[in-house]
Amino acid sequence: MTSDQPAAARPEAGPRMVPGFVGQVLSGAALLVLLGLHMIAQHFVVPSGLRDFAAVVDWLRNPVVIVLEVAFLVVVTYHALLGVRAILFDFGFSERTEHRITGFLAVVGIATVAYGVALVAAILDAA
Amino acid sequence: MASTTAEPRRPAVGPARRPGFVGWFDPRGRRLGGIAFLVNRITGIGLVVYLYLHLVILALLAQGPTAWDTFIEVALSPPFLALDVILLAGILIHGLNGIRVGLVGLGLVASRQRALFVALMAIAALVALAGGLRIFTAG
Repeated sequence: MTSDQPAAARPEAGPRMVPGFVGQVLSGAALLVLLGLHMIAQHFVVPSGLRDFAAVVDWLRNPVVIVLEVAFLVVVTYHALLGVRAILFDFGFSERTEHRITGFLAVVGIATVAYGVALVAAILDAA
Repeated sequence: MASTTAEPRRPAVGPARRPGFVGWFDPRGRRLGGIAFLVNRITGIGLVVYLYLHLVILALLAQGPTAWDTFIEVALSPPFLALDVILLAGILIHGLNGIRVGLVGLGLVASRQRALFVALMAIAALVALAGGLRIFTAG
């Protein structure tokens, strides 16, 4: 979720916002590849569009798949939460509140990735 | 990142919109760049909501084959497939518009960003249409 306007162009934003925009662009570019792979592998090449349980487990037994899916989760979470941060910052909070928002979203991001990794382990355990 | 390439979020003239989140939905005086900004944020919010819904639903896999395979039957019903088409359209619109935002932010196509936006949205519509047909005819 990228702002339509680079932060550097916004006089009220200041240079501290620039890394956020660069992060959005870089993670967005990575998502073009990772999301494309995810969509093709999980949906387009599967006849019905969704793998059944046995097919999901077979798929996840491949370590390369796990690395790619976790990388996808990390990048998509980073991109999404950076976008949420940009939206929240548009409300004009104080700098202190903005720092708290950044910290909170970092915790949410770490928890999201941890949940995803734990979920992969739980799926393989359930098989 | 060239600071001169960005579109103004709000027009310099015309009626003032309400600030913050509510102002996004106020169409008064909005130009194409503003529409692109609005579309990017709305699709982005939708995709964030979908991301977390998706992660919650994937937890069914940890409950074993019965829970997941029952869900698949529901997910392949026409209402769910319609939601898939909306999701695909959202991904295409956000992704292609994001490419434009990135290019403009890097100062590469600032003078042609409006034409680029129209072209990319046309591509998004065509691919979403083709994908929608594929989604409803697969299997």
